[in-house]
Amino acid sequence: MSLTPSLKPLALAGLLSAVAAIGGCSDSAFESSFAYSEGTLSLVREAREGTKANPGVKKLLDDRFGDPQQLKAWEKMPIDFGGALTSVAEVKQSESGSQVVKLTVEEGQSLPAKAGTVHFMTGACEGETVQVAQWNAKTGEATLAAISGNEIAAGDSCVIDRGAGLSTGRMLYMRHCSHCHGTSGDGNGPTARYMTPKPRDYRNGVFKFKSTNDMSKASRDDLSRIVKYGIPGTYMPSFLLMKDDEHHAIIEYVRFLSMRGEYERKLVAELSSDYSQTAYESRVESGEKKAEILQELDEFLAEDLKESAGSLGDDLAETWTTADTEEAAIVPSVPREANTPESRRRGRELYLSKTLNCADCHGIDGAGNGPQTIAFEKNPAKGDELYNEPGLHDIWDNLNQPRNLQLGMYRGGRRPIDLFSRIHAGIQGSRMPSFKNTPHEDIWHIVNYVLSIPFETEPGATGVAPSAAEAVAVPAAVTVPVAE
Amino acid sequence: MKKFWALFFFFWPTVAIISCLIAPSRGWWFPSAPMSRTGIQIDGLFYLILIIVSITFVGTQYALGYALWMGATKDSASRAHFSHGSHKLEIIWTIVPSFILVFISLSQLDVLAEIRVISKFPEQATKIAEVTARQFEWRIRYPKPGEKLTTEENPGDLYYVNELHVPTGKPVIINLRTQDVQHAFFSPQLRVKQDAVPGLVIPVWFDVLEVGNYDLVCAELCGWGHYKMKARIVAQSQSSVDKYLKELEAEQNEDGTKSEAAKSDE
Repeated sequence: MSLTPSLKPLALAGLLSAVAAIGGCSDSAFESSFAYSEGTLSLVREAREGTKANPGVKKLLDDRFGDPQQLKAWEKMPIDFGGALTSVAEVKQSESGSQVVKLTVEEGQSLPAKAGTVHFMTGACEGETVQVAQWNAKTGEATLAAISGNEIAAGDSCVIDRGAGLSTGRMLYMRHCSHCHGTSGDGNGPTARYMTPKPRDYRNGVFKFKSTNDMSKASRDDLSRIVKYGIPGTYMPSFLLMKDDEHHAIIEYVRFLSMRGEYERKLVAELSSDYSQTAYESRVESGEKKAEILQELDEFLAEDLKESAGSLGDDLAETWTTADTEEAAIVPSVPREANTPESRRRGRELYLSKTLNCADCHGIDGAGNGPQTIAFEKNPAKGDELYNEPGLHDIWDNLNQPRNLQLGMYRGGRRPIDLFSRIHAGIQGSRMPSFKNTPHEDIWHIVNYVLSIPFETEPGATGVAPSAAEAVAVPAAVTVPVAE
Repeated sequence: MKKFWALFFFFWPTVAIISCLIAPSRGWWFPSAPMSRTGIQIDGLFYLILIIVSITFVGTQYALGYALWMGATKDSASRAHFSHGSHKLEIIWTIVPSFILVFISLSQLDVLAEIRVISKFPEQATKIAEVTARQFEWRIRYPKPGEKLTTEENPGDLYYVNELHVPTGKPVIINLRTQDVQHAFFSPQLRVKQDAVPGLVIPVWFDVLEVGNYDLVCAELCGWGHYKMKARIVAQSQSSVDKYLKELEAEQNEDGTKSEAAKSDE
């Protein structure tokens, strides 16, 4: 035992070198790529890969988002790509003839220790990214590797290492998230197969637990809460101990992956009805000439898709920007109703009422065993064919039964406002619909009732028995909520 | 060459003596000074055993070195002496170690009882929280301020994750349980380690001596995300803990309208 201290360094060194030899030590040794969606892969080759003259889906996507080794920061997207904002104080020539710009930061900020690139935001060089050959962090003097064709002037604002935040996010994401959520955010990492429920596939841009209304995306705060506090009842753990800037970087990267996935989906949607493999084959069968179809596709790529490539990005940027604004946030018009037996009784009445019909899925006693959970549901993605197993399914095609409210486990948070948001906006991607037209007082009564379910001694013990007219109605036929 | 091996076996016990002497002052053995009262006792036991074991190790190694040295320097023509079969020696080396082992086991009984036996828990110890381990995080449940912690959940309980606030300077108890597989509640600085066993609610007591942040990690390989199971124990004065719980209560009763009012105040 007393030998340990003297032997330890040796043994440790041996072990470390063995590990290093097997696993490799640097991040750069780990190469990865973004997978393309099934939608993209279902297109005809020319639509996927592009024609001689015109880019296809893959190139349009890669030009805007890059791959994990070489991420691209598409300016249009409302993502904080990171980097230090500076402005040009002075432009001069060095002795060797290369261009030197002196950069300053706003008061209170400090210059970064390293600088690889300078990206100009304003001035004649707007949009250009120039490599930095030498960087003096004390004076802020950057010797540019190449002389720009356009004139750099004092007062131009520029960003040092634009995209640094995104690549930090990527690094953290690959370390902590990708083994479940996958490199491209498809929820299909190596550990995902062992999990129920499945990790979120970000590529629809749909997140379940959010504080924004039913038409909006999740806000940054919503994603931040999930990363910080985890999701009880699922495999998503809490990352509370991570630093704030790390949280921020990860969330921006997740938003980046969502936007990439959604953009890909939108591009595919433009093409899939006419140029998917199956559509192409059936068109050929119905007598169209192959060359003509491809000629038509080429024209479509050249004009329509090129145009929509820009406008789809604008739409995407707008929806994600809106999510962080006040107009998207759910704000109850009245404060929470006092949590009294009367309120809970009213909540239970509403819960069982025919109009809201919560019990249809969540069950009369809130055990998540309503009649819908044993009915066979139609699969809208497969021409309304019935699913093989009974129960409710989400848009990711997983069995997604309604929550058992007796467990007191609230995935999206247990604050009254969290439950209010769940009821008000519904849960996107799942069968939980939005009840935004229900008066806010009534939603609060339901919240009070739902929060009391885990403590009920018997179903409805906190309320009175429902009147006969409002007793839960078991539907004769299975109703299928309209998919998005 | 014979002498080399003799010196070789003299060398290691010498290294052991030096490292044992300087280890306590350099803090090689422990991640930090003990931050709880039982931690100090545990460290005391550790050093007691370290002394006994070091003396034994060094003594036997020097004896080995001495025997080798004598053999190396002896005239090769002289005859060897065999002590095999000596009853006296065998009795000595059986009785001496058994006394040592009995001494060690008796001397740690009190500390073990104090840590593990519920009836020996300090009387003034209060149950402050329930800590539920799950793959891969620590879920914390505090009773509603002013109420007592019970095994069952109660309306008004306060919930948090991966951060446990404890008052300093007084013994506290947490109820440890697990939602899935075995985990272990381990705080290296507090010298607290207790397995969480499915189906059991295990009370664990400790007292934190100084204000500060301490690690809480899982010490039972619980699955692929074992390394992620890291939380923080925040030790603060009782009044700070009370203040924290008040804030947590306000946060947990958040109805989304008050914060709007607060925003417009700013």
